[in-house]
Amino acid sequence: MAIRHWRVKDRYYRLIGSRCTECGAECFPPVYRCRKCGSEKIEDREMPQSGKIVTYTQLHEPLPGFEAQAPFYLAVVELDNGAKMLTQLVDSTDESVKTGAKVVATVRRARVDGDSGQITYGYKFRVT
Amino acid sequence: MARKAYVSSVGFTPVGDHWEKSIIDLAVEAARGALKGSGVKNPGQIIVGNMFSAVGASQEHLGALLASALGLSGTPAYKIEAACSSGGAAFNVGYNLVRSGAVDSALVVGVEKMRDLEPEEVSQALAMAESAEYTQFVGATFAALNGLLARYYMEQKNVTRDELSSIPVLDHANAVTAAHAQFRKAITPEVVGRSAMIADPLRLFDCAPVGDGAAAAMIVAEGGASAGKGKLSEVLGGKIATNEFSIYERDDMLDFKATRDAFRGATAEAGISPKKLSLVEVHDAFSVVGALSLEAMGFSKPGEGSRDAKAGKYSRGGELPINTFGGLKARGHPVGATGMYQIVEAYLQLTGQAGKNQVEGAQYAATQNIGGVDSTSAVHVFGRSS
Repeated sequence: MAIRHWRVKDRYYRLIGSRCTECGAECFPPVYRCRKCGSEKIEDREMPQSGKIVTYTQLHEPLPGFEAQAPFYLAVVELDNGAKMLTQLVDSTDESVKTGAKVVATVRRARVDGDSGQITYGYKFRVT
Repeated sequence: MARKAYVSSVGFTPVGDHWEKSIIDLAVEAARGALKGSGVKNPGQIIVGNMFSAVGASQEHLGALLASALGLSGTPAYKIEAACSSGGAAFNVGYNLVRSGAVDSALVVGVEKMRDLEPEEVSQALAMAESAEYTQFVGATFAALNGLLARYYMEQKNVTRDELSSIPVLDHANAVTAAHAQFRKAITPEVVGRSAMIADPLRLFDCAPVGDGAAAAMIVAEGGASAGKGKLSEVLGGKIATNEFSIYERDDMLDFKATRDAFRGATAEAGISPKKLSLVEVHDAFSVVGALSLEAMGFSKPGEGSRDAKAGKYSRGGELPINTFGGLKARGHPVGATGMYQIVEAYLQLTGQAGKNQVEGAQYAATQNIGGVDSTSAVHVFGRSS
């Protein structure tokens, strides 16, 4: 399945999201128009690399290409700037994964494409 | 001035395993039922609601394909896609074409072929309703997103496991006497709570099953030349709304804003108070989605959807019966067809053809069909015609 990851490599490797130059709201994934004030004056912005778990789940049967990682935790994380994003959690014990737990970003192997064997890297978070 | 529009007949297959039938076989079977019952020989428009025929059946171009298969080549025809709300979206287009006067009749067919796929292929196909770059990229299935939502809902609103189980239990109870339902077996909250873990805290029986099916309706204009012969149910209102695309992009993940807006718009167009509804077909693809939908439409207070279901409010004989043939959990959820199954069921109720599942004296019914996790919501309101 072709997702052209190189196009969004800055998003995946450096957590480049959006900042509204009118109202200052920040978000990840990036937007074309500010969700808070409606402005289209948007600039790229590196997101803070830490935040906390809003909610989480443990997934046993993930999408194709992720089987080797299963089971793994997924979480909605609220970053320190208020942006909410979806991420995998790694290197975190079952006991440590809970709502409100502090997390930090890390770059990891995201998936291996079944047909070409291409390896894609991207962000994951771990509980601190 | 908009004209009145009616559903004049319906056709549908049972939901489940149709190993012997292709996607077009299913669509033809449902379409023929609607054509025959209505007496309309040449609909002004054919619309197919479908989510992933390209993945599920290596088939696109369903509009012309179905028209040709029905011997109706020449008829304008196309497919409408809005993930799991494809059926409701397709119906909305047909309704607006008829009431606007563009056509006198429209045949709307929802169809999905899921069972030819391996389970992981179904997961991949369903995940296409969500962002490729930021949701699929992290390996999240559609069930995983709903698991995240379910935990948040339970923690924020102090909802218990047994309370969450109440809508699947209700669905299965209603499906026992529904001939077209996929699972016609009653279950208990214990069965839900002990079933296999899918995406913690969601278990297998929180989730709608995978199945094949097709459901169709003929929409006709008031007094139109092609009004035909079927029993009529008036389409009183219909609206589609959208929400911020992914749950994690929303200020309040528990606010199903698309459903709230679509429901408000549809009932306003219908000119009826929600209190007058005799039944509602609710899009409970997951137990938590059913609960949040009931809350968004204002039938339950925030956090009370599952608890109200547990107390019997939404059961047959309760204050507001929902999912009268089993809903997504037990009637089944052939995704692009589901919205049309809901509309077929509302029609059967309002024309007194619901058999053992009849809600006595049903006057008004609503259907609520979601794509994604409330990224799209299509709501329609129907009335009994005297």
